Amino acid sequence: MLDTIGTLARFGLAAVWLISGAVKLAGPGQTYIAVQAYDVLPHGLVGVVATALPLVEIVLGLALLAGVATRYVAGAALVLLLVLIAGIAQSWARGLSIDCGCFGGGGQVSQGQTQYPQEILRDSGFALLAVWLLVRPRTWLSVDGWLKGGHGNSAEPGHDYSGVAEGN
Amino acid sequence: MGGAERTARKQRQQAQAGKSVVRARNAASDRRKIIIGIVAVVVVAAAVIGGVLWTISNRNQTEGQTINPDGGTSLAADVVQKRDGVVVTVGKPGATSTIDVYADFLCPICGTFESTYRVQIEQAINNGQLQVKYHMVPLLTTKSAPPGYSLDSANAALAAADAGKFVQFHDALFKSQPEEGGRGYDKQQLIDLGKGVGITDPNFASEVNAGTYNDQITTAFTQIENDPSLQQDIQGQKSFGTPTVVSKGQIINWQDASWLERVIGG
Repeated sequence: MLDTIGTLARFGLAAVWLISGAVKLAGPGQTYIAVQAYDVLPHGLVGVVATALPLVEIVLGLALLAGVATRYVAGAALVLLLVLIAGIAQSWARGLSIDCGCFGGGGQVSQGQTQYPQEILRDSGFALLAVWLLVRPRTWLSVDGWLKGGHGNSAEPGHDYSGVAEGN
Repeated sequence: MGGAERTARKQRQQAQAGKSVVRARNAASDRRKIIIGIVAVVVVAAAVIGGVLWTISNRNQTEGQTINPDGGTSLAADVVQKRDGVVVTVGKPGATSTIDVYADFLCPICGTFESTYRVQIEQAINNGQLQVKYHMVPLLTTKSAPPGYSLDSANAALAAADAGKFVQFHDALFKSQPEEGGRGYDKQQLIDLGKGVGITDPNFASEVNAGTYNDQITTAFTQIENDPSLQQDIQGQKSFGTPTVVSKGQIINWQDASWLERVIGG
């Protein structure tokens, strides 16, 4: 039962990263504008982050989809989500009016159009999925399980695959 | 050989066999880990390298391009294009109506406005019904990578006005509008476009390179942004945006397809 919840969390989080990463990757100009709108990075770094962020998201998504090194990937996903939440929160606190650009779009919007609470809540929900996988990385249909059990899942009792990632 | 001895040997053999199974399983597991590790590294490397190359090439799409000098301009020969400070007035002498257009060469909606109404506007100009005062607004100067296209293009358009080719230059830039957040066009590309639309005066290139009108454009922009009559209600907030079209002191709702008929008619 817990494995099933974990599996859903893993696939859910994988979908989040793959979709958000793919949308950002498809519109590099828009992603650049979105990153710039947070107004936290020095000019030279905006382009670097706008290039790297979608790729990091896609790599996290692929790793979660495959279930490779789940605990470590979940940890990385949590860190990234916390950074993104911090970025949104600082925009809110400073009174900027931007769209987070979490799933494409982004950049400045008029003051009535900001959705900071919703954006932060949504990302916090994703963070909960990551926390689950960080604490309890055992899931069905994972490479981790296949490495340990040989059946592509973690059906056999007594294994804790959390440590599997160390080998990778 | 006693029964007890036999049993003991059997047990030893079984233990031996068990160990080798475990060993074999471990070896298989190690092999799998290595394979998975290699696959993971290859997939990640391919995704990252491919992604970076794609992003850079997409963002720098305009690099090495020649801007198509044919922007579809259809002005009559006797239409006058005249620069006054940082405003360019286009129209026939005695035109009956006037509009002010505030636009940024990088602003996507300005591009939509131009592609939607350019033909109608130029026709009205040709008919002597309309003169247009073009205000180049560097609203998005920081929104290209590298920044500056907005201001460079505004300056170049004014330089093109000095050579009498403002509308041709303006229309071509909007027709080949670069993407916001992308590279824009550099000064050399703007200079080449000037040549493409028929500018022969060598001053054009030096004005583009020197940014001759940059300071005036920026000063005018500050005034425009702070002019209450140019601010619109956007979601309950008063602010200036592009494009803004003004007729007789009133901001026109250009989303309404019949705005131009009303301006000319009234």
